[in-house]
Amino acid sequence: MREETRREAVWQFLTYGFILLGAVVTLVPLYWIFVASTLKESEFLSSTDPRLLPGDSFLGNFGALHARENVQFVGRVGEMTQYVDLGPVYIAYDFWNLWNMGAIESSIFVAGIYTVLSLLLCSMAGFAFAKYEFRFKQPIFYAILATLILPIQLLVIPLFLLMSQIGLTNSYWAIILPWLANPLGIFLMRQNMRSIPDALLESARMDGATEFQLYYKIALPTMKSSLAALSIILFLFQWNLFLFPLVILDQGKYTIPVAINQLVGAQRVYYDQIMVAATLSIIPIFVLFLFLQKQFVSGILAGSVKE
Amino acid sequence: MSNITLDTIRKEFGSGQDSIVAVEDIDLEIRDGEFLVLVGPSGCGKTTTLRCIAGLEDVTSGRITFGDKDVTGLRARERDVAMVFQNYALYPHMDVRRNLGFGLKLSTKLPAAEIDQQVEEVAEMLGIEELLGQKPKELSGGQQQRVALGRAIIRDPEAFLMDEPLSNLDAKLRSQMRTELQTLQHDLDVTTVYVTHDQTEAMAMGDRIAVMNHGTLQQVGTAEEVYRDPVNEFVADFIGSPSINVFDATVDGARLDGPGAFTYHLSETAPVERLDTVRVGIRPEDITLVDDGIELGVNVLEPMGNENFLYATLGHQEVTARISPTNRPQPGRSVSFAVDEAALYLFDPETGDSLKTKRDGEVPSGPDSIPNREGVQSDVGTGAGTGSSTDPIEETIE
Repeated sequence: MREETRREAVWQFLTYGFILLGAVVTLVPLYWIFVASTLKESEFLSSTDPRLLPGDSFLGNFGALHARENVQFVGRVGEMTQYVDLGPVYIAYDFWNLWNMGAIESSIFVAGIYTVLSLLLCSMAGFAFAKYEFRFKQPIFYAILATLILPIQLLVIPLFLLMSQIGLTNSYWAIILPWLANPLGIFLMRQNMRSIPDALLESARMDGATEFQLYYKIALPTMKSSLAALSIILFLFQWNLFLFPLVILDQGKYTIPVAINQLVGAQRVYYDQIMVAATLSIIPIFVLFLFLQKQFVSGILAGSVKE
Repeated sequence: MSNITLDTIRKEFGSGQDSIVAVEDIDLEIRDGEFLVLVGPSGCGKTTTLRCIAGLEDVTSGRITFGDKDVTGLRARERDVAMVFQNYALYPHMDVRRNLGFGLKLSTKLPAAEIDQQVEEVAEMLGIEELLGQKPKELSGGQQQRVALGRAIIRDPEAFLMDEPLSNLDAKLRSQMRTELQTLQHDLDVTTVYVTHDQTEAMAMGDRIAVMNHGTLQQVGTAEEVYRDPVNEFVADFIGSPSINVFDATVDGARLDGPGAFTYHLSETAPVERLDTVRVGIRPEDITLVDDGIELGVNVLEPMGNENFLYATLGHQEVTARISPTNRPQPGRSVSFAVDEAALYLFDPETGDSLKTKRDGEVPSGPDSIPNREGVQSDVGTGAGTGSSTDPIEETIE
C-alpha cells in the first residue's frame, strides 16, 4: 500500500515536472521577447551580458517604431477632411478618416470580421452536414476536408488572379473571403453538432420552429463552448496569415505579420522595433484568450466525458 | 379537438430493393378525446407510425386526416400536435420557464406577459412552480418528465403524441406518473396516441389498444377485447403477463393430443374441423390444479404474495400457471391440472389466426362463464381509466 502511494507520488512529480518543463519551454521565448522590447538593441544582442530583467527602453523603442515612414504599426489620429461646419462646432462625417488604422487595428479588424463570418458559415455548414440528409453529402464533405492538404503557397497565384479579376486587390475582403469556409471549422462543427440529440431538434420542430430557428435557437446555444474554441482557432489563423496579405495588400493596409516583415530591411534588421511589435501583437490574442478561456477549455474537453 | 384517421398509411425507408417497410398499410381511427395506446415489440413500427402522425416522417403512401383536414403533406409545426419524447428532449440551455414557453413563443403571437401567465398556470397544474428558474440538468427524471408534459400541455394542441414517455423512470415513479398522465388526459380531454412496448402499461392506460407487429396493425380494441378475444396467436402471446402457454396438438375428431400427457376432449369441434393439428393456448390463470387431470412436472415455484407462479413442464413444453398462494407444490414433484373448455384458445397452425378464444366460449353477460376472475382482474383492472363500466369483470369483482 505504502509502496503504491510512493509510486503514485513519483508519477505525479514526474507528470507535473513534464508539464512545467513544457510551460517553461513555451513561455521563455515570449518572456525574452518582452524583455528585449524593453531594452536597447545593443543590450539584448550582447553576448557578454545576457539580460533577463526588463529595462526602461520600451517607450523609446516604441517611439522609433511609431515614427517609421514605411510601416505604420499603431494607428495615428487622422485628418478630418469632410465635415459640416456649424460655426463653433465641426461635425465630421468621415469617421473612417478620424483614425488612420495601423497594422494592429487592421489585424484586429480583419481577424474579427473573419472570425464572426467564418463562425457563421462553418456552424451552418457543420449543422447541415451533421443533421440533414442530402444528395452527395459524403463526397461533398470529403471534398471540403481534402482542401486541408492544399498549402497556401499553392493557392497564392490563382487566388491573386481571381481577386484581381473581381476587383478586390488591396481590399481586406481579399484576405477574408477565400478562407471563410474553413474546412477545419466545418469539420469541428460537424463533429460537435452530431452530438445534439435528434429528439431535441424534433421537439423544437413540433414546438413550431422553422429549420433556421432550429439552427440559431437550439443548435448554436448548445454549441457555445465549441464556438468559443473555434473562434480562437479562426482568429489565430487569420492573425497569422502572412503570404497572401503580403501579395495582395498595399503598404498602407498591411496586417501585423506583414508589417513586422517590413522591419527586416535590406541593410539592417531593426530587432528592437521587431521586439516591440511582437510584444504588441501578442496582447490582443492574450486578451481574447482570457475572455474565452473558460469556454475554450470546456470546448476542448467536450465529449471526452460521458455526461 | 378531432379524430385522427390513418388511411392505409405506409412508410418505407430507403428506396428500390434495399427499402425497408416500417409501416405497412395501416388503417386506424383514433376517436376524439380517446387515449389510444400503440403497443408492440421493438421494431414493430409503432414509433414510426407515431412519427408519421406527428409529421416528423413523411408517409410513403396513404392519407392522414385530423377531423376533416388532410394533414398528410403538412410539416410537424403546421399540424398543431404536441409530442413527448422518451428522453424528454428538454432544451438544455433554457430554464424551465423558457422551455415551457418556447412553443407558444414560436407558434403564436401572444404577448410575453400572456405566455408567462400560461407558463405559471401549467407549472401549477403539474406542481413544478418552484422549478421554473432551473435548468433541465438540475432536475430529477420525474421533474424533467413533468416539464416535458407541460411543454405539450401548454400549447393546447389537437393531439398529444407520446413516445414511451415513462420508460426512463424507475418502477415506482413510473406507476405514479402513469396514473397522473391518465388523470391529466382525462381532465384535458385531448386525443392522445401513446406508444409503448410494455403491454402492462398499454392495458392499464389505453381506452383502446392497437397491437402492432412487423409493421402491420394486428388488432385494435379495449384491453379486455385484446386479452380475451385476440385475433391471432401473436396478440394472445404479446398481451398478458405471464404470457399465454401455447403448444401444438394433433386433432382426432373431438380429441386433442398435445405434448406429454396432454389430451383434451372438445365438446364443440367446429373450430378444428378439417384440421390435423392445432395450436392450443391456455392462459396461466386458467390452469386449475386438481387431483385427477393432466400431469405436469413442477420445476420452480415463485411466491408473489397474492398468488404463486408455477413453472412446470408438460412433456417437452414449458408451462406457466398462476395458482393460489396457499397452493405450494414441491419442485421435482408432479401435479395435475384441468382447464375449462371455455377458457381454451385455439389457433390455426398455418396462419396463427384465432379459431376459438375465451369470448367464443363465453355465455354473454354471465359471470359464471368467466373461468378465473382473479387472474384476469390483476392484469386488466389495475388502471383507473381502463375498460368501461359495463366490463363484466369489474362487475363481478364488486
